[in-house]
Amino acid sequence: MIHTTKLPNNEYSTNYPLGHSESIKVYESKPDVDIWNAFNSGDEIAFNYIYRMYVTVLFKYGCQMSRDHNHIQDCVQNIFIDLRRKRGQLNEVQSIKAYLFKILYRELIRKSNKSKEEVHQYPEKIHKSFPIEFSQETKLIQQEIQQEKLERIQSAINKITCRQRQAILLFYEEGMTYKEISVAMDFSEVKSARKVIYRALATMKTLLQTKSENEV
Amino acid sequence: MDLHSIYNMKYKDYDIDHFITDEFFIQWIKKPTENNSHFWERWIEQHPERRPLVNEAANLIRSVKYANNSEFTDRMYVETFENILKADNHFRQLNPISPTIISTTPTKKVNSFFPVRGIAASLLVLFCLYAQYEAFNYKPELVEIPEVVLITRSNPAGQKSTIDLPDGTKIHLNAESEIEFPQEFSADIRLVSLKKGEAFFEVQKELRPFLIQTGKVKIRVLGTSFNVKMIGNESLQVALVTGKVSVDTENGSRMRLEPNEMLVLEDGGAFQKTGFDSKEVIGWKDNYLVFKTSGLPEIKRKLEQWYGVKIDLKGVFDEKWTYSGIYKDEMLENVLRGICMTSGMNYKINKKQITITNPK
Repeated sequence: MIHTTKLPNNEYSTNYPLGHSESIKVYESKPDVDIWNAFNSGDEIAFNYIYRMYVTVLFKYGCQMSRDHNHIQDCVQNIFIDLRRKRGQLNEVQSIKAYLFKILYRELIRKSNKSKEEVHQYPEKIHKSFPIEFSQETKLIQQEIQQEKLERIQSAINKITCRQRQAILLFYEEGMTYKEISVAMDFSEVKSARKVIYRALATMKTLLQTKSENEV
Repeated sequence: MDLHSIYNMKYKDYDIDHFITDEFFIQWIKKPTENNSHFWERWIEQHPERRPLVNEAANLIRSVKYANNSEFTDRMYVETFENILKADNHFRQLNPISPTIISTTPTKKVNSFFPVRGIAASLLVLFCLYAQYEAFNYKPELVEIPEVVLITRSNPAGQKSTIDLPDGTKIHLNAESEIEFPQEFSADIRLVSLKKGEAFFEVQKELRPFLIQTGKVKIRVLGTSFNVKMIGNESLQVALVTGKVSVDTENGSRMRLEPNEMLVLEDGGAFQKTGFDSKEVIGWKDNYLVFKTSGLPEIKRKLEQWYGVKIDLKGVFDEKWTYSGIYKDEMLENVLRGICMTSGMNYKINKKQITITNPK
């Protein structure tokens, strides 16, 4: 009945808090709204499930905004602590992942606004967040021309704004829908998410076209 | 016109820009499900000339990656989880009455306690001095050992009971369970013995420790409430609701539990700490009969224990079928009706003998 999951070795198995694949079994087929309601009403297995499913992606996402991994770990931890304290009063959530991404983003912005030492670096730092790596793993694309094309795309990506990169990453790396992106990026309307993506792609397209024309 | 043909029309004129801005397409590339795979695979079959375009779009989408590396190690994973639960307990101690309101002035609170702490510290010093004085002047005395009268309470299947102990502790004893305790506790310890089954303890807080002996394991507490369940001879579950509990196994290891943690001890000595769903684990004492993705054998066992009946299963049953449901103070017939309604099984009640059949 009880299984140890995720752990490759035995180092933590004695005090491993989540040796309970039950939570996955119980919740994996349920819609986010139900899981969130269960969590809100104090169901520990629902919390366990949410932690398992999202803590790693949340941390990874945070690391795109700051290189201080300890700081990100703290923020992720505080988010969960805070949510647990607010159980019973939480609002309905349609997409747990998008909601968690939103509050982590807010928390990191709030923290970097607060910390005095970083005031001067702040615009610079934000400007640099959400870097994108454009790389293809497909073996077919190893010809030199393709390599050149990759580099051109990469340099075009580097020219779009950081909010645009954030949206592009949520769209392609995280596979979020426009609705989820609008939640994660704190937009009030879904169409704002569409606009950001379209604009980013249009900018890149223009950059790519002008470059190739120049080369011709 | 069904949804797919609408999509088909729409996608016929797609170029690459359309594909890479279409969330339904991206969902298929990033998180293929039965539904979207079926659709796209069929679509490509019907429009083979579009295959290179689809491939190019898929490649573009897959090529976008986070540039910053990050590794959330197993250690961080465990550490973060533990800190989250610890913060919970700390918070509960700070705000015992209203656990949902966040204290905005924690530093002030600590300050106001400071004089109390000071007094407590000096009392402790005085006590230590006194204890040392006593230890030097200690003379062993012969203590008359009173005869201990042990009382045994047990419940058959279909019956639960509540027991009040002389120290104010309350025990909820589940069906098919047995517990033994002295008529009077001794002067320095409160020892009870769970012989079989399951019990929920609400231990009266006092100086004498409360010990529960279950087979080879000792559970030690002060004031607290928690559930102990023996599953045959193989395993033991201890689920803590409030307070603190430590569990001593026969091989000498001791484990501590925090509220909302459950310890599962296997016969071989392996153990696991987990969270638990309180309705599922301790609902029984408030007459909640809970099934959570339970298979038929588990349902049969629970019903037999809960209602004191015998259940026969006749026919072929789907092993993957599970049932979830919560019943409070419900008649057996209503529970059977609920279970059978969703599964297409039939039941027959003949006094204490139930037969469940599967016509399929």
